[in-house]
Amino acid sequence: MSGAGVITGIETRGEDALSTPWNVVVHNDPVNLMSYVTMVFQRVLGFPRDRATRHMLEVHHKGRSLVWSGERERAEAVVEQLHGYLLLATIEQAEY
Amino acid sequence: MRFHRAASGSWELRGLHPLFASLLAELPKVASRHRKAQARLYPDPTGGEGEAQLRNDWKEHVRPGLERLFSSSRETVARDLSTLVPNSPGASLVIPAAHLDAWLNALSQARLIIVEENGFTESDLDHREQPDLATRRGLALLKVHFYAHLQELLVEAAG
Repeated sequence: MSGAGVITGIETRGEDALSTPWNVVVHNDPVNLMSYVTMVFQRVLGFPRDRATRHMLEVHHKGRSLVWSGERERAEAVVEQLHGYLLLATIEQAEY
Repeated sequence: MRFHRAASGSWELRGLHPLFASLLAELPKVASRHRKAQARLYPDPTGGEGEAQLRNDWKEHVRPGLERLFSSSRETVARDLSTLVPNSPGASLVIPAAHLDAWLNALSQARLIIVEENGFTESDLDHREQPDLATRRGLALLKVHFYAHLQELLVEAAG
């Protein structure tokens, strides 16, 4: 799968205080399997399995999970990769 | 149906019942029926809120790449399936390890499309009721469940 690379250098809100970061949010859908979503989080976001599982469960139980935060261009790249795996992901500007 | 890793590193499905072999053979065709599932296969990256420019750019620059990725996955799966003889008892299928991602992708496409086409809900999908195989809808639900089972096996294999 061409869109399967790992996003490196994950930024967090605290690391870029001068500009408003952009969030990548994954939304629940009834179709994608829990094991598949966990695998995608590991691959695309580089999460270890336990963190990937936590985010997957958050998506499953709360309907959404913020999985990445940082500068806009890279947030768009993350969403593009998640869409390549057919996950429902959106980009949204963080609120302070 | 048995799923195991061959000495070559490939994955093999053996002892496929003709019904499941025929469902497998349909996979590339099902996964190519994008018409009714456009919104789900190519979701709005903004969730529909503002950012009109991003939505337009996405449609122009990102969507073509996704279409190529999805098409390539279907083609890979179709090639692997070309050796499958659905009506032979105990049919088998070899999935090269390098093709696992293409299979995962095509199975996701197919499952999303069937769900959109039939309007299945989370309740329909949670296995609480046996599908009524006398109806087209029941057969479609069986297909979703079978593809999910295969996807679980492949996720485990890919892990």
